[in-house]
Amino acid sequence: MADVVLSNVHKKFGTFTAVEDLNLDIQQGEFISLLGPSGCGKTTTLRMLAGLEFPTSGEIRIGDRVVNDVPPGDRDIAMVFQSYALYPHMSVGQNIAYPLKKRRVPKTERAGMVAKTAEMLQLTPLLHRKPKELSGGQQQRVALGRALVRDPKVFLLDEPLSNLDAKLRGYMRAELIELHQRLGRTMVYVTHDQLEAMTMSDRIAVMEGGKLQQFAPPQEVYRAPANRFVASFIGTPGMNIVDGSLHEDAGRWTFTAPGFSVDAGQLGPDARPGPAAMGIRPEGLTIGSGPIQGITQLVEQTGHENITVVRLEDGLRMTGRTAPDRLWRTGEPVQLSIDARQAHFFAEGPTGKRLNRDVCTMDAPGSNGTSLKEATS
Amino acid sequence: MLRKIAFNLFAWSIVLMVAFPLFWMLVTSVKPQFELFRRPPTILPETWTFEHYWKLLSDTNFLGYFWNSVILSTTTTIVVVAIATVGAYSLVRFRYKGRESLAFLVLFTYLLPSVVLILPLYLMLVQLGLSNTITSLVIAYTTFALPYALWLLRSFMAGIPEDLESAALVDGASRLGAFWDIILPQLLPGIISTALFTFILSWNEYLYALVLVNSDDARPLTTGVMNMLISSFNIEWSLLMAASVMMSVPLIIVFAFLQSYLTRGFGAGGVKG
Repeated sequence: MADVVLSNVHKKFGTFTAVEDLNLDIQQGEFISLLGPSGCGKTTTLRMLAGLEFPTSGEIRIGDRVVNDVPPGDRDIAMVFQSYALYPHMSVGQNIAYPLKKRRVPKTERAGMVAKTAEMLQLTPLLHRKPKELSGGQQQRVALGRALVRDPKVFLLDEPLSNLDAKLRGYMRAELIELHQRLGRTMVYVTHDQLEAMTMSDRIAVMEGGKLQQFAPPQEVYRAPANRFVASFIGTPGMNIVDGSLHEDAGRWTFTAPGFSVDAGQLGPDARPGPAAMGIRPEGLTIGSGPIQGITQLVEQTGHENITVVRLEDGLRMTGRTAPDRLWRTGEPVQLSIDARQAHFFAEGPTGKRLNRDVCTMDAPGSNGTSLKEATS
Repeated sequence: MLRKIAFNLFAWSIVLMVAFPLFWMLVTSVKPQFELFRRPPTILPETWTFEHYWKLLSDTNFLGYFWNSVILSTTTTIVVVAIATVGAYSLVRFRYKGRESLAFLVLFTYLLPSVVLILPLYLMLVQLGLSNTITSLVIAYTTFALPYALWLLRSFMAGIPEDLESAALVDGASRLGAFWDIILPQLLPGIISTALFTFILSWNEYLYALVLVNSDDARPLTTGVMNMLISSFNIEWSLLMAASVMMSVPLIIVFAFLQSYLTRGFGAGGVKG
């Protein structure tokens, strides 16, 4: 059963449309990421789920209730804020107890629940401290504790890890995954960090310009991006995207860019001859041999591989991965080939639709993803 | 090193210049009458006396004026702080048309010299039947304390992250509950400095009190003491000084305790509290 449903949700601030015609079906117990650049509408969407913003039109359901007009406190949700939003004048214990107090949980019961939560998050020795006496990671755990303590139906997390340093972030990411598995609660997680979204989520909702671009499991978002925006947003280093044009000859398509052309094979029904774009991930490029000529422009050594940027004749830059044992010097001429099976083709425009025929050019994303997809449609 | 000494000397000489009248006030209030006009003047009194204080408290209406001032200043402070707090909350948290212009209009009233406003205000208060009452002064002081108080509290309020309130709402508080549990405690330094500012302003105000109130029942200290001790033929210097000392004492006490809040208040806006 769907736990959280947004149907045709619009949100306008004056003349600015923050969220446009958003439809999301979130299953019970799912971990969903809302992913996108800043200003894409992801936080607004989360705040609408929380009841801190109200949709201009459309319907939001949590469980079997339409919650459009339900105040935040009555929605059975908990939220962790990017700033943690700990109450500065209250101790850690009082912070965690506050939602219980507001729900009129008896004092004796309250103390037990706070103690249990504090123990789970290793906050017991800190219960009497004030938030400002805690480190960032500890504050983060208090914020989590305040959300956990009353066992809500849905957790809403607004970039909760973005204020932590890289090491702690990795640690907390693992903690959150474990927490989600243990509690089995629905979690909606807002982030602009694709790594977080890829590693933690059951499904990712990629947003841009207030619109949902794709809602799919991480592997599918990576391997079969719905459009050019998703393709370029997901992956580090990013997908190489080349503008060119498509031509059809007896059911077989060819993509031509200045300097080279790629055999696109069979494309889906939306393919039209004319301007288009091709995307190829760095791992789809072979550097060192091939028909395309270029010059090495930049080599980044990460240790286990080298990220090599090659400039083609007419100034086009392509990024590829190479083994660490073969280091090209800057300015050295190289050959390059493109694995056509790994290429994606997109219609014209920044959010041009993906035109490939199959859902996935590589192995299937896993039965889990497919079954979820069927369940929601 | 030399620069430091020079700087200290300079600073202390200024402090002395500012402090001397206060010192003289204190000294004069405890000198007996015959010592007052002696030449050369005595710096410290040869004989100490508290007779002026005693006379002021027993023979004059000083305590009545003092009481009026306490009621007047306290009421004004409560009214101003209450209105300014909810006003600042509205200006910072709610989005509505004309919000910014409203804030600036309020400030604009503060820019007008009070002399300009005094006559219209007087006429209005007379029509309302409030002339010669403490209430009329409360209203008058509110009109010029409120704009500044509103702006002061507004900058404090703006320093409170909206997330805190959102978190309280998600945690199950009503809007009023969140205001009470979260906003007010955070705003406390702002409220204290606003209250202090308003209290001092109404305690020391003279012009409005002079124009609007003409009966001894409602006169505050400032006009009361002047009226009582300064006549065209004679100024009772020692009584005046004793009265001045007693007028200053409440402010000095309040100041001593809350001074850190006040300076924080004047620095607000730049950094959050």
